Amino acid sequence: MSDVTFHGVTKVFPGPTVAVDDLSITAEDGEFLILVGPSGCGKTTALRMVAGLEKPTSGSISIGGQDITDLSPRERDIAMVFQNYALYPHMTVYKNLAFGLKQRKTPKDEIDRRVRDASGMLGLDDLLKRKPGQLSGGQRQRVAMGRALVREPKAFLLDEPLSNLDAKLRVQVRADLKQLHRRLGITTVYVTHDQVEAMTLGDRIAVMSNGRLQQLGVPQDIYDHPANMFVAAFIGSPAMNMLRGVAREGRVTAGDLDVPEVGVPDGDVVLGIRPEAVRPAGDGLPSFEFEVQVVEPLGDEVIVRGAVTGQLAEVETGEEHAELLPQLPGSRAVITARFDPEVRLSPGMRMRLGVHPDRVHVFDARTGEAVR
Amino acid sequence: MEATGRRRAPLWLRAVHSDHVAGWTLAGPAIFMMALFSIYPVIWSVILSFQRKNLLSGESQWIGWENYEALTKDPIFKTALWNSAKYTALFVPLSIIAGIFVAVAVNRKLRLMAFYRLAVFVTLAISTISTAIMFLWLTEPTYGIINAFLHALHLPEQQFLADTNEALYVIVAMTVWGWLGFVVIIYLAALQGIPQELIEAAQIDGASRWGIFRNVTLPLLGPATFFLVVWLTINALQLFDEIYLTTKGGPLYSTTVIVYYMFVQAFQNFAAGYGAAMAYVLFALILVISIIEFVVGKRLVHYSA
Amino acid sequence: MTKPIALEPPAVVRATAPHRRRWLPFDRWHLFLFPFALVMLFPMLWMLVTSIETISEARRFPPVMIPEGIHWQNYPNALKRGAFGTYFLNTFFVTMTVVVGNLVFCSLAGYAFARVKFFGREVVFMLMLATLMIPYQVTIIPEFLIVKWLGTHISPQIGIDSLGALIVPGIVQVFGIFLLRQFFRTLPVELEEAARIDGASRLGVLFKIVLPLSLPALATLAALTFLWTWNDFLWPLIAIMSPEHYTIQLGLMNFQTAHTTSWTLLMAANVMSMIPLLIVFLAAQKYFIQSVATSGLKG
Repeated sequence: MSDVTFHGVTKVFPGPTVAVDDLSITAEDGEFLILVGPSGCGKTTALRMVAGLEKPTSGSISIGGQDITDLSPRERDIAMVFQNYALYPHMTVYKNLAFGLKQRKTPKDEIDRRVRDASGMLGLDDLLKRKPGQLSGGQRQRVAMGRALVREPKAFLLDEPLSNLDAKLRVQVRADLKQLHRRLGITTVYVTHDQVEAMTLGDRIAVMSNGRLQQLGVPQDIYDHPANMFVAAFIGSPAMNMLRGVAREGRVTAGDLDVPEVGVPDGDVVLGIRPEAVRPAGDGLPSFEFEVQVVEPLGDEVIVRGAVTGQLAEVETGEEHAELLPQLPGSRAVITARFDPEVRLSPGMRMRLGVHPDRVHVFDARTGEAVR
Repeated sequence: MEATGRRRAPLWLRAVHSDHVAGWTLAGPAIFMMALFSIYPVIWSVILSFQRKNLLSGESQWIGWENYEALTKDPIFKTALWNSAKYTALFVPLSIIAGIFVAVAVNRKLRLMAFYRLAVFVTLAISTISTAIMFLWLTEPTYGIINAFLHALHLPEQQFLADTNEALYVIVAMTVWGWLGFVVIIYLAALQGIPQELIEAAQIDGASRWGIFRNVTLPLLGPATFFLVVWLTINALQLFDEIYLTTKGGPLYSTTVIVYYMFVQAFQNFAAGYGAAMAYVLFALILVISIIEFVVGKRLVHYSA
Repeated sequence: MTKPIALEPPAVVRATAPHRRRWLPFDRWHLFLFPFALVMLFPMLWMLVTSIETISEARRFPPVMIPEGIHWQNYPNALKRGAFGTYFLNTFFVTMTVVVGNLVFCSLAGYAFARVKFFGREVVFMLMLATLMIPYQVTIIPEFLIVKWLGTHISPQIGIDSLGALIVPGIVQVFGIFLLRQFFRTLPVELEEAARIDGASRLGVLFKIVLPLSLPALATLAALTFLWTWNDFLWPLIAIMSPEHYTIQLGLMNFQTAHTTSWTLLMAANVMSMIPLLIVFLAAQKYFIQSVATSGLKG
């Protein structure tokens, strides 16, 4: 059993800055857990605490049920892939891979076996005699992975390992990573700021902001049922449209959109509608007026930006809750919609868009929490 | 009708504005001084080494290789070579080892670190003469405090700079002390160039503190070590000031080093030619040793990309 | 609603760490650093103590650690026996002139070598680098003869036994030209090109654009030149004979020769000689220790 668990972990840096605030989550045995959030949300600090590179101010961390909070990194049987790879520049690839095993006094033939296994898995066989300076970015990244693999640790920790790769390589390595995890089944904690990576790679994702956990769940769940405005705005691209609205007696209105929502208490709310949730009005769905401004055909879909009556709720994704910024008077709210390519629209067109009530997210305007 | 096409400026105007003139005007004074005080002396020195020349009276006489031959038979020169070698062989390793150790020690966040660093770096501001005088007093056989300590510990008191067997070692101690600030600054800068991530990766890989030092820190300090070995060796072979102030080459030539002997010959015996020959032997020595160090360094030292 | 679920953790086994550190009230590196710092400072501290003792105290055995009173007399006495004021003025004059001279001439030359394509530039530069490899002992004997010649044929102010002899040979140093050339080359050439298009002359570009951007390199050059010139010993030793032209180092050496057993006076003289450089060092250390050496402190 090698689950990685945070028990109420808090980390305060002199400042005082609260980098991590009472974090309690578990990466189950063999699970691929992703910590995702904007820069400064505390995800890297949390990861480093698992590695032993930072000590929690309070709380504890355990691996496989064993409390490791007071252990030094070398005593923890974990392996880490750094954002900048941290390869030993003066050693060959072989020696880089072998270093950890050598330090732990592994017998020589065992070292050789493991190094060659990892090298084979990652396609590094031809590079074993080279030094990091002679490798490309993608190759270095694989060596960094290899160095973690040979250790056969209880848990893998990865700190934004794809962020230094170019876009095409990133997609390729993402797929490789997923395959590797399927094959090896080692508990993995992965940190990224890229929500696409989070959604595609994670068994479960933990969305963090300002040191606090915002929501933990499987990707689709987080996408379909965001717990608060921050998660709603952070996950999904293009981002969810947020409109100010008012809830009254079981109905929620934003501009000329009027949606029946049972069980929503009266008061100021924010409506969240994903770009793909709208379609040209018809078949009795609540609808609202939409004036097309910009059409961006992408081939397999069309992104359309247009003005609506009603007001936008500007969500600050850097903050813990979404902050409602005052809207500039006289400007019109612009939302983003996503259609199939067959829908032909041009700038200036006026039309009505409809949305199903089930796909409208309602958030309390004050607390940011999801109400429905 | 206006004339079409520009006419080229007259030649002299073009010349004045040209880069060549500009370059030589800007660099001219410096090049002239360098020619006068560097290049010309180097050549003249070669000529001198083939002459017997009196420094004061100026009379000279061509004697070919005689100066160099005399050097090979000169017992004092041989002693000087031997002393310089002994001194260098002690000074350089001691400075490097002490420097690495102290640099590692001061490369951390501790209270009083500013005080510790000051204590190390302050020697940079102290001249060789001041250093020599301080150590003369510390090692004074009768009134010096070091002997007082030894006495208190019931250890035999020493003659230090007055002792043929000890004087050179006192000079070693004195100069290691004096150079420590410099060595530590170089190593400190190098240590801070090592990415923290590498150390962390090594920790996670399971290396002990010593393992990290030996396998990560030390190799990455290679370039700094290389530079210091070359630089310190060259300076060690040019030792003069401290000798002149404290022992004047004695007792019994035990602290006579190459440059000191050259000084004696050229500026006390006024044998300019002999002195010049010695200077060239020193040059050759420095060149050979530097080349050896370069060759060894190229093989051992790794420069991270 | 997916609020974070507090999972009931399985029974947590507390791992015993193999080495529990014993608790000292301070970091254990202090155990080495503090005594070490004292040892490093000891020669200077002892010199200070001796400089305020009476000679009988200094000669006492076992040595007096804390003198009975502060015998300031040593300082004026030392000044009477050695003209340290003169030595200081000489050294100051020589050093400042050499520093300024180097700043000016090395900037001009360094810029020329860096940016101006002139005939023979590469060859001359290689030649200059080559001279850096040659130990000064090789050139010092002919230098003496050259300066002697200059003194008799051009002006006694730059001949042997004059302050000029200390200034002229060192007023442009190859090291300075090399340092500045390398630095100038790291500046983006587009800045200078833009200035020239705007109509600036070469000198204008140098003074208005390049030099203001080169302050760190100029400061380094000034500091190093200052240090080397101030502490120079061998050349002043052979070039200067008259006490009124002594530099501080020469004066100190001479004082020591003349007063070998007047340790208290000697230490006072030594202290006085050190003070100018120490003041500059302490003033500069805030900038240079803090920036160079304190950066990147790891926890």
